[in-house]
Amino acid sequence: MIEIDGLTLRYGGVTPLDSVTIQFPMGTNGLIGPNGAGKTSFFNVMSGFARPQEGTITAFGEDLLAMPHFRRARWGLRRTFQTEQAIQELSIYENVALIHEHAKADTTGTSRREDILGAIEFVGIKSDPYAKVASLSAHERRLVELARAVVGKPRVVLLDEPAAGLPDDETVQMGEVIKRIPEHMDALVILVDHDMTLVQNTCTKVAVLDFGKLIADGPTAEVLRDEQVMRAYLGTAEVKA
Amino acid sequence: MPSWTQLQPFIVTGLSLGGVYALSGTGIVVLYRTTGVLNLAFGAIGMFGAFLSWQLIHEEGWPQGLGFLAAVAFSVVAMWLYGMVFGPPLAQRDPLVKASATLGFALILLGASSWIWSAAGGATRFQPIPTDTHHFSVGEAMVNWTQVIALAVGVLVVVLTGALLRFTRLGTAMRALANDREVSAVLGVPVRRVEAVAWLWAGVLSGVSGLLLSDLVGLDQVTLTFIVLISSVAAALIARLRSILGTLVAGLGIGLVDACAQPFSGISRYHDMAPFVLALVGLLFVTRKGGALAGRRIV
Amino acid sequence: MRLPALGTIRVSRTDGIRALVVLGLMAIGLFLLPAVLTVDWMGVLAAAACYTITALGLGILVGRVGLVSMGQVAILEIGAWIGARLLFATSLPYPVVIVITAILTGVIGTIIGLPALRLSGLYLALITLMLAGAVTILLSVTNFPNGAGGFLGYDSSTTIPPSIRRPSIADSDTGFWRYALVVTLIMFLVALWHVRSKPGRAWAAIRQSEPSAMAAGINITFYKLWALLLASTLTGVGGALLAGSSGQLYQTAFSTDQSIQLLAVVLMGGAYTLWGALVAGFLFSVVPHILDLWHLNSSLLLILFGVGVLQVLTTAPQGIAVQFPKDMANLGRLIWRGVRLVVPARGGAGA
Repeated sequence: MIEIDGLTLRYGGVTPLDSVTIQFPMGTNGLIGPNGAGKTSFFNVMSGFARPQEGTITAFGEDLLAMPHFRRARWGLRRTFQTEQAIQELSIYENVALIHEHAKADTTGTSRREDILGAIEFVGIKSDPYAKVASLSAHERRLVELARAVVGKPRVVLLDEPAAGLPDDETVQMGEVIKRIPEHMDALVILVDHDMTLVQNTCTKVAVLDFGKLIADGPTAEVLRDEQVMRAYLGTAEVKA
Repeated sequence: MPSWTQLQPFIVTGLSLGGVYALSGTGIVVLYRTTGVLNLAFGAIGMFGAFLSWQLIHEEGWPQGLGFLAAVAFSVVAMWLYGMVFGPPLAQRDPLVKASATLGFALILLGASSWIWSAAGGATRFQPIPTDTHHFSVGEAMVNWTQVIALAVGVLVVVLTGALLRFTRLGTAMRALANDREVSAVLGVPVRRVEAVAWLWAGVLSGVSGLLLSDLVGLDQVTLTFIVLISSVAAALIARLRSILGTLVAGLGIGLVDACAQPFSGISRYHDMAPFVLALVGLLFVTRKGGALAGRRIV
Repeated sequence: MRLPALGTIRVSRTDGIRALVVLGLMAIGLFLLPAVLTVDWMGVLAAAACYTITALGLGILVGRVGLVSMGQVAILEIGAWIGARLLFATSLPYPVVIVITAILTGVIGTIIGLPALRLSGLYLALITLMLAGAVTILLSVTNFPNGAGGFLGYDSSTTIPPSIRRPSIADSDTGFWRYALVVTLIMFLVALWHVRSKPGRAWAAIRQSEPSAMAAGINITFYKLWALLLASTLTGVGGALLAGSSGQLYQTAFSTDQSIQLLAVVLMGGAYTLWGALVAGFLFSVVPHILDLWHLNSSLLLILFGVGVLQVLTTAPQGIAVQFPKDMANLGRLIWRGVRLVVPARGGAGA
């Protein structure tokens, strides 16, 4: 459970986050909104790249904002980025291993190798784990990023458009994997995406941001029917669903 | 411990050299801010121009004025050509790559000039400028007009460049480019044309400083390429590659410290380390104040 | 077939081929070259080994972490000074001198880079450029030790300075070349271990994207510092070897433009692979000697390096070590295609 209270982020005259108060329960949560609504800014605050002027974030009872950014990875925070971050010249195994070793993941009861191979298998990568990422398809490169986000007992997984650029069938497959994260990895997932089908299929709860403000929040089906949400979207972007 | 009277000539030397460092430092900063290229061939281009004018005047018998003009013209063309040929393919690359590429250009110029004007035979070349022979005294120090010109041109160029950036449309465009190239392009700033102007202007500054230094320091390839480059880059660095006025102050400061350390027996022989030491102190100051990363864009 | 993993380092089949190539090269270096080349060449090759080790460190800095040092020859100069001073002042075994020199040089190189490291990479490049100039001046005043006492170990009245000592097992020029070659191999293994394990993966992540590395919990400053320390330490090893190799050291061999040239050959050789260091050492030390033998102007080399840097940075960022085999393969294909065009034509004529 993550509790966000009165979170405000300002850069000069811009306010990407305007006193946002919300709770994310255990499970898969969607975070949607038109471009510039403050979704990525929220992730940046979570991972420590941006320091909010006001507000608190309490994750599983701990004050997240009090931790320096590299400590957050050790605490169990994982994140993916909109742009591809899997390192081409390293193998799949090394890509995942680097997260595991630098996040100083706990290996009681297993070994580092088992954890890493486990994560690669969990996301459904079929290629040889020792193959270079450069040799993979776009789909598998995206899966490598997902494996990096779930390796080593994560507590909170932030996914920023993890399926961007993938065709529909591969997006559906990825949705299936994302849906299984809370149960298999015991981690809370927050998914930012513009693809409403993906959000509908994976998230039990959805929050909507518009111009830095929270405009709706609740069970997925209800929120997506909300008129205010429709307006926010239709005003700026096309609803894909 | 030298007396005030003994120190005076060194202050004159320091100020004149400092003026040239400020001049080339400004060229480096303006070019960097506008095009994103930190040009480490700045010294080499001026050096080649100075050698060219020496050749034209002393070997080919050109009139002095024309020879000097040719030096500046060479620098302008060389700078502009480099910018036009290597600017676009490297535009999207890291500033570090752009800076390293200019080193390649510096090596070519250095190699070519050593080949054409080889130092073999121990022949030293001088590039006297007519203003050398006219001097007057200030206090105990003899000042020649070349030194006055060096300082005056340095200060003038810095003030002029600052005013240009602030008060003209071109200057506004340059500052816009320094801020954000993509946004500027979208807003209709003619990026390529503004960049071309920056390259040309940097060429003028490098040509003039090459000429002045060939007189003040001597015609030597390595000295003109590196010692001068290092001093000007140090001035630019202390000004955080940003402030024109800061470059002027830092340039004069480096020139002064370098020259005034000479009469002190303990540090005399180390005086040329001044740019490194001052730049290091400047850097320590910058990092101590923090905030260096504050303006950096994340993600 | 999957070979067993060694911790997190995995040995693949291509590694087996690489090991064979290295063994072959070592055999050529240790036995064939001393047999076919003059003693003069042994000195040149030993110097090339020292610069190869330096280029190895610089290559890791440039290629793996994306940091540029424009003053690595100045660091080498510091290493050579420390090495020479220790070799004159103490009777410590040569390997011990190498280790002490490496540590001291590593620390000095890191401290100098420290203030710039927290700023952008451009600042580190510029401060090292200034360092190159400053060390040149410093050493032209203090000079290299020539067997005298005192902290500086230099006496200007010494007319015939004694040679800097060499290890007893490698006193001859040929012996020292073999010694330097073995040290070079060890340094390559040290470098290989780094890029294949935790620091290497951290560097790869930093080079890819600093925010992403930060989100992965990587302490960016620490790993950049580590790279700087490794590069300076390797350079220190090169310096300590260079002291014994040269016998006498002179400041003029370490001018500012040498630092720039070294960076140029590292970029040309290819900073993204360790093989690039071999190419760099060859270009930096062996090619000038060849030009000398052919009575060609050494300015030619500067132009060549300049063109090489511009070419590599604009069109082939992997450098010669990667590009050359590809070019050769392309050339081979071209020749093969040519041959095939000609041969069937003949066959057709005969039928």
